Amino acid sequence: MSQTSRPRSRSGNLAAEKLTYAAMLTPALLLLAVFVFIPVALVIYGSLFDFGLTSRDWTFVGLGNYVEAFGDDVFWIALRNNLIIVIGSIVLQVGFGTLLAAVLDRGVRLGRTLMRTIIFAPMVISSVAVGLIWLIILDPNVGPLNAVVKGVGLTPPKLGWLGDPSISIWVVLGIAAWQYTGFMMVLILAGLQAVPKDIYQAAALDGATGLRAFWYITLPSIRNILIVAILITTVGGFKVFDLIFVTTGGGPANSTQVLGTYIYLQAFNIGEMGFANAISVVLLLIAVGLGWLQLKTSRKA
Amino acid sequence: MKVLGTACVVSLAALAIGMPAVAADKATVKFWTLKNPGMAEFAAEAIEAFKEKRPDIEVVYEDFPNEAYKTAIQVALNGSEPPDAFYNWVGEDSARLVREGLVMDVSEYGTEPDGFQSILSDGWLSTLQYDGKQYGVPLEAVSKFFYYNTNFFAEHELKVPDSFDGLLQSCRDIRAIDEDIVPMPLGNSERWKLNHFITMLNERVVGHEAANPDYALEADDATLFTNPRYVEALQKVLDLQEAGCFQDAPNATSPELTRTMFATEASPMIYCGSWCAGIFNGEGFEDFKMFRMPEVKGGDGADGTNFLIVQGYQISAKSKYPEETVAWLSHLVSPEMAVRYAETMGRVPSNPASLDSSDQLTESFKWIAKDVSEITVPINVLDVKLENTVSEAYLDGGVELLNGTLTPEQVMEKVRETALKAKAKLDK
Repeated sequence: MSQTSRPRSRSGNLAAEKLTYAAMLTPALLLLAVFVFIPVALVIYGSLFDFGLTSRDWTFVGLGNYVEAFGDDVFWIALRNNLIIVIGSIVLQVGFGTLLAAVLDRGVRLGRTLMRTIIFAPMVISSVAVGLIWLIILDPNVGPLNAVVKGVGLTPPKLGWLGDPSISIWVVLGIAAWQYTGFMMVLILAGLQAVPKDIYQAAALDGATGLRAFWYITLPSIRNILIVAILITTVGGFKVFDLIFVTTGGGPANSTQVLGTYIYLQAFNIGEMGFANAISVVLLLIAVGLGWLQLKTSRKA
Repeated sequence: MKVLGTACVVSLAALAIGMPAVAADKATVKFWTLKNPGMAEFAAEAIEAFKEKRPDIEVVYEDFPNEAYKTAIQVALNGSEPPDAFYNWVGEDSARLVREGLVMDVSEYGTEPDGFQSILSDGWLSTLQYDGKQYGVPLEAVSKFFYYNTNFFAEHELKVPDSFDGLLQSCRDIRAIDEDIVPMPLGNSERWKLNHFITMLNERVVGHEAANPDYALEADDATLFTNPRYVEALQKVLDLQEAGCFQDAPNATSPELTRTMFATEASPMIYCGSWCAGIFNGEGFEDFKMFRMPEVKGGDGADGTNFLIVQGYQISAKSKYPEETVAWLSHLVSPEMAVRYAETMGRVPSNPASLDSSDQLTESFKWIAKDVSEITVPINVLDVKLENTVSEAYLDGGVELLNGTLTPEQVMEKVRETALKAKAKLDK
């Protein structure tokens, strides 16, 4: 009796277990469906129509909005600017973040916590506030940066730091680096502190110290952390909106336009919702691709 | 237990019947507007006064910052619970909502003696009329002037310019007094400031009769925005820049900072809206006077025209209480409320008849109100009047013109190219 009842009980347990998993997953799936999957489906659907935010009628245009986007100069400027921000942020944020982390991990003994806090501090300020702070600093009429530049005998840009289309995207990149380098530093520092110190001691016996130890021991040891940092920076670079919106609004004359601000401009200022949806889908595909890469790499890590 | 159950059923039934009855006693009018200085204070006072007139109506006031409002109102009008009355700019913004059937035709409402149609002049009412039907209640108008520091002008014996060339000469004279003084700072970081200049330069050089078919995208494809006078108008911007009127980086300077430069007497002139007078007064600076954008010699503009943007309230097509909503808006334009509006907001109301009765209005405000009443043809600003993509082309073109990255001819080529695309789309 007991022999025959055991398998039944096991299968019963399995069913109950499955039911429990399903019950536990359902709320999350429902929330995802309501807040992610359905909106995404609506955006994809909307990208096939020509309509405004207040339009009564939607006109089906098929892939017309995508064709228009790929033929639109500003779309390519926005994509190029996103790439500049991504690559520039990897160099500045992850690069400087790694250097600062290495210095704080091994080079600085006194006031390490204080320095870490100071470098990390901009990260906890909202991007809107950061934008406003830098607007004051960079103001061509009363901003302190111009005064400093003039004070050392140099000439500040005549059109202003954020008004000159040839430099404004690089200035915004610098502001983003100021805000996020501290975060990268903390992330990498955590990785550095997990590297066993005896490896350095053993390497020192073999003559690997200083830069050689950093190159051959530190960097390979934090490889996975660096990959995650690069992916976070890349995804952030494509999603950037608030900082640009506050500092330049995508100007002067689209020179700092990124996909996020261009979507906003098309949707809410110009009223081309279908076109904005099509650009959103392109951005979504980029983000999904990068997300997949991040997932794959973090699993490896 | 049975008694308790019966009691519960009876209570619920009473609630079910009673609640709609209470709600039906009072109509709720949802009122959305812009968060402008003084508006909340004025609205609170107006609501209190309206309660006495119409205790059966409850007005729910909500205000929004400018940019947030532009998005929120469009979303709300498509939703199931839009505001009954909402603020809007007269021009393409209000016309689009009429075309899309989102606002109510209120021609049949407000015709009683204290209704807005009896209170406001035909000229004002016409600003929100489309195809002979009334689609809203105009509340106020804003204009634009050159403000100048009277002490500075008197001290240096400068002449108030009466022509565009005179304006250029004023800038040169001020630079000659002190090279570091910016005669007329331009804060174009948000792009609309220069667009206001271009709006009036187009009027003075091209003239509204010639420009209107282009603005409305009704001109032939072959002639759309090809009038060479548009290029001349943009050249005037460069003339102002070359005369040293502006500071070095207008595209990186905020409008607020330029107002402060004038109010603190760092700069002796500024081109600013009629609302600026109240701001300068509020900052303790009162030694200024105003003049309109002067005429351009040889230009095709008409006499007596000036920049004028009318703003008002439209009623959602989905409003359940159109009569009550119109009653509330009629109250806002009533003589006593119009005076309070001018006093609190420093703006010219659509019903200026009783303004003389106020002893709280400043001299500068009275001058503006008089000047607005003398405008022969109101010139609406380009970014409100033009189709959105054409407006964007003008806004970006202005930025590039100031930066020297495009010539006036190149800007107009871009405007024409965009206008042709927009026209083709509209024709479809």
